[in-house]
Amino acid sequence: MNTRVHRVATAAAAIVLAAALPVAAQTGNPYHLKPGAKGKACLECHTGFEKTLAQPFVHTPVKAGECADCHNPHTSDHGKLLAASPETICSECHSDIVPKGASSVHQAVLEGGCVQCHDPHGSANKNNLVEAGNALCLTCHDDIGDAVKAAKFRHAPVEKSCLGCHDPHASTSAAFLLKKEVPGLCLGCHTADAAFTRQHQGYPVAKGDCTSCHDPHGSSRGALLWADVHKPVETRMCAQCHEDAGSSEPLKLKRAGADLCGGCHRDVVNEASTSNQVHWPVVDRRACLNCHNPHASKFGTLLAAPMKTLCGRCHADTIAREERSLAKHPPVQDGDCTTCHAPHAADNALLLVEANTIELCGTCHDWQMHSTHPIGAKVVDPRNPNLNLDCLSCHRNHGSEFKAFLNFDSKADLCVQCHQQYKR
Amino acid sequence: MSRIPVLGVAAVLAVALSGAAPGAEAVKLRPMEPVYVGGTGVGVREPEGIACGRGGIVVVADTGNGRLVPFEVQPDRLAPRPEIVAPQFPAPIRVGLDSRGAMFVLDGRSRRIAELTPAGEFVGYVEPKGDAAGAMTPRSFVVGPDDRLWVLDVGTSRVRVLDRSGAVARDIAFPAEHGFLSDLAVDGKGRVYAVDSTAHRVYGAGPGDPALAPVGEDLRRDLDFPVAIAADAHGQLFLADQNGGGIVVLGTDGAFRGRRSGWGWKPGFLRYPSGLCFDATGNLYVADRGNNRIQVFQITE
Repeated sequence: MNTRVHRVATAAAAIVLAAALPVAAQTGNPYHLKPGAKGKACLECHTGFEKTLAQPFVHTPVKAGECADCHNPHTSDHGKLLAASPETICSECHSDIVPKGASSVHQAVLEGGCVQCHDPHGSANKNNLVEAGNALCLTCHDDIGDAVKAAKFRHAPVEKSCLGCHDPHASTSAAFLLKKEVPGLCLGCHTADAAFTRQHQGYPVAKGDCTSCHDPHGSSRGALLWADVHKPVETRMCAQCHEDAGSSEPLKLKRAGADLCGGCHRDVVNEASTSNQVHWPVVDRRACLNCHNPHASKFGTLLAAPMKTLCGRCHADTIAREERSLAKHPPVQDGDCTTCHAPHAADNALLLVEANTIELCGTCHDWQMHSTHPIGAKVVDPRNPNLNLDCLSCHRNHGSEFKAFLNFDSKADLCVQCHQQYKR
Repeated sequence: MSRIPVLGVAAVLAVALSGAAPGAEAVKLRPMEPVYVGGTGVGVREPEGIACGRGGIVVVADTGNGRLVPFEVQPDRLAPRPEIVAPQFPAPIRVGLDSRGAMFVLDGRSRRIAELTPAGEFVGYVEPKGDAAGAMTPRSFVVGPDDRLWVLDVGTSRVRVLDRSGAVARDIAFPAEHGFLSDLAVDGKGRVYAVDSTAHRVYGAGPGDPALAPVGEDLRRDLDFPVAIAADAHGQLFLADQNGGGIVVLGTDGAFRGRRSGWGWKPGFLRYPSGLCFDATGNLYVADRGNNRIQVFQITE
């Protein structure tokens, strides 16, 4: 009796365990196919698959006729009768694609978009890639492809293969999927010998960040320098900012923060010290380096990133407001923040480049053609005796949930803010 | 001339006697009549700072007009006093008052803190002295209960506590990870708090702590761009959300307790609020910069 109970319990446990395991992990014949049907039953209907099977590279389960490793032949909650969600099904076998503690992971991998690069059945390319070589990467990273194509000088490994420097799935040690951190990666090919040191004015840059001056993909400037180069770098006057190359600390800066930059950029220092409002990062510990790269940049005026990204690092709420907004204010949408705001200092609140809102908006908008509603210095805001009516009395310049970035819904609330006699 | 309704003395007393912070969810801001003009009849313009003194004096840093505007808090109104204008502060952005009525003003142009007599005469600049002096770039400051100046020095990423002679009594480092700190407050127990505008955090340090550390959670969901902080008598923290146009209330543990007021022009609403202080009776004063006025809120349950 006891033995029988034990057997029943064991059988029940086995059934539960088998059901709990993903289909892919099961062996044997979970769908009770007739002998000889495995790998053939599906092809009776899916006749086009013969071509896939003839491809040079075929996914192992496909080759083995294990269609049910990935597909449920009866029903599924997922498209294409997949046995699990498309974002997770690959990782049931390929669980080691992203190593633990990875420094960077390919966005496509992170999102489970394996089929963006791999054909799950078969392909003419190794690893079942949907395209061969760099063409695959440039399908998404077309901005890099375009830049390299337009560049006068191309970094040789880029033309050969993106995989020379990048891991396609994840990197255990560096950002941007790099195989190693810079400069270690660069020094794999570029030897820091005497000639190398001479080229860099005797400075020990082999310990530095090569990409602070060089575009690793390609450039139209010699030595693959970024498009916008700081004058002292361009003229090889490193000692203008750094201690002498022969000193004990050659990479040390001669002065800290804005004191150093102000030695040449007196106009900015003067602006910051004679204006009523300063952009506070200009005078904090990192000062100019909050926004500018000191050596070279892909972007104008040595900005560390495109303006919208750069300003958005601190003013994320403003960028988010624009993204939520029903209507788009072009300078905000395009990241032309300096159309309205001074980046370093100004005499006006919120660092506006004009004290008068109507004048400021008028630099782009012909407001006299806009409306017959009275605005200006002689029109007091009925809601507030210390304000005159201006563009911002009705519009919220960074965006709102109403049309024309109005502050209130025009039909219900905007006009009756002041014209209360019409309030219903 | 501004008038303030008679305070709910009984309610305030009841809270004080209970010894407990008011039920935070129940904290309400009852707006009183806003203040639009100073003593000379000139309208307030883009005020960024405000200080509440212990002697019933409130001083406004009237930034857009380049002046200080003092008021005397009377039971039913704010009585304006003569304005103070001086070449040392063409763009006052923060102001403070010590227990004797001396005024301190941070100028946005020179980024220096000037000391003034209670009558408004310039005494000198407050600068660190001694071995640990160094240069200072104050973004904000507050006069603590002990009359020391707690200066938010963004140039060296630390809070510097200066005594009246300028000697550095203490340095408190900013947290290792931080965004941009805009303002600070000191509560009755000598605990300092600072608000990080870009990381949406509040940091705090007790009397013996060498560095600020996060208090409560990331407030990204509840705040757009906080630029000012004040602590009430119960240790609750009030933040001015500049871009969101509102006041956010945090408990003594830094937990979010509610959002009050909102974006608007009418009395009780805010546009780009940039300075806060509490007077002795617990009323909250707000430098409502975008609305060119001072708003006063009675805190009720």
